[in-house]
Amino acid sequence: MPFDAMEDLPDDALLARFAEGDAMAARILTLRLTPRVMAHGYRLLGNRTEAEDVAQEALLRLWRQAPEWRPGEAKVSTWLYRVVANLCIDRRRRARGGNLPLEAIPEPEDGQASAAEQMQDRARADALQSALDQLPERQRQAVVLRHIEGLANPDIADIMDVTVEAVESLTSRGKRALSALLAGRQEELGYVDER
Amino acid sequence: MSMSDKDQDFAGLGAFFDAARAHPPAPSAELLARVLSDAEAEQVWITRRAETARAAPRAGLLEQLYRLLGGWPAMAGLTTAVVAGVWIGTALPEGLSGSGEAAYLVDITPEAVFELAGDF
Repeated sequence: MPFDAMEDLPDDALLARFAEGDAMAARILTLRLTPRVMAHGYRLLGNRTEAEDVAQEALLRLWRQAPEWRPGEAKVSTWLYRVVANLCIDRRRRARGGNLPLEAIPEPEDGQASAAEQMQDRARADALQSALDQLPERQRQAVVLRHIEGLANPDIADIMDVTVEAVESLTSRGKRALSALLAGRQEELGYVDER
Repeated sequence: MSMSDKDQDFAGLGAFFDAARAHPPAPSAELLARVLSDAEAEQVWITRRAETARAAPRAGLLEQLYRLLGGWPAMAGLTTAVVAGVWIGTALPEGLSGSGEAAYLVDITPEAVFELAGDF
């Protein structure tokens, strides 16, 4: 099958091909899933290096799971969100005090951030990340899954192993806390916008 | 708190979430290389395991037969016994080949011997 056609295959179909030894499936899955998994890990941990380690570990678990994967039974992305969350929780618990210091939050990435608009957007993204890092673990996870990853509440409930009502409560409390944390920054970021 | 109050409270967050989605942290080239390397190594392992599993039933049967017979010396002994059995079964002794002699051996009884002795 040509590369373009394979790129259109869903995750579980590619995973089945991966288990059969298809090298192209391995390449496509790596390119497709690594950014998603790494980004999710970063949003939960607020640390790039740790997020990369978590992404590698989560995907290694997926590769090992491939021969036993039953297509249609579970979504690869849902499974990965759960694994990433568990790995992040383990890391945070191992870290003293359960929270990473704010200094651990990386600087905005170098490169194309030249336009004022992009700079403002990046500043907002960084501010949000700093605020997310201060939320309790479960609230952070629920808010990230709902408002950044864009998942539906039932899917989040499945990932977090809680009821939909609990998800609603977690996201609501999380957003309230974020609002409070970002209240001071909105003015600051608005000032950046006007320059 | 009514729903509209809630929405109003969180309305300002939308721009932050949009910004976060627009600027996901990109994985480094090194991470992609590490992940792909893991994938390829795991794929080799999975393929090898599958091949071993496919070959295993045949090897297993041979192994079971070997153990059942007690190894190759036992198989040689078994073969000798089978050949000897066939030979004994098919090649009758020369002395028993005549039908008359066979009848003589069968007809002689102890009672007949005592009757003959009484006549003297």
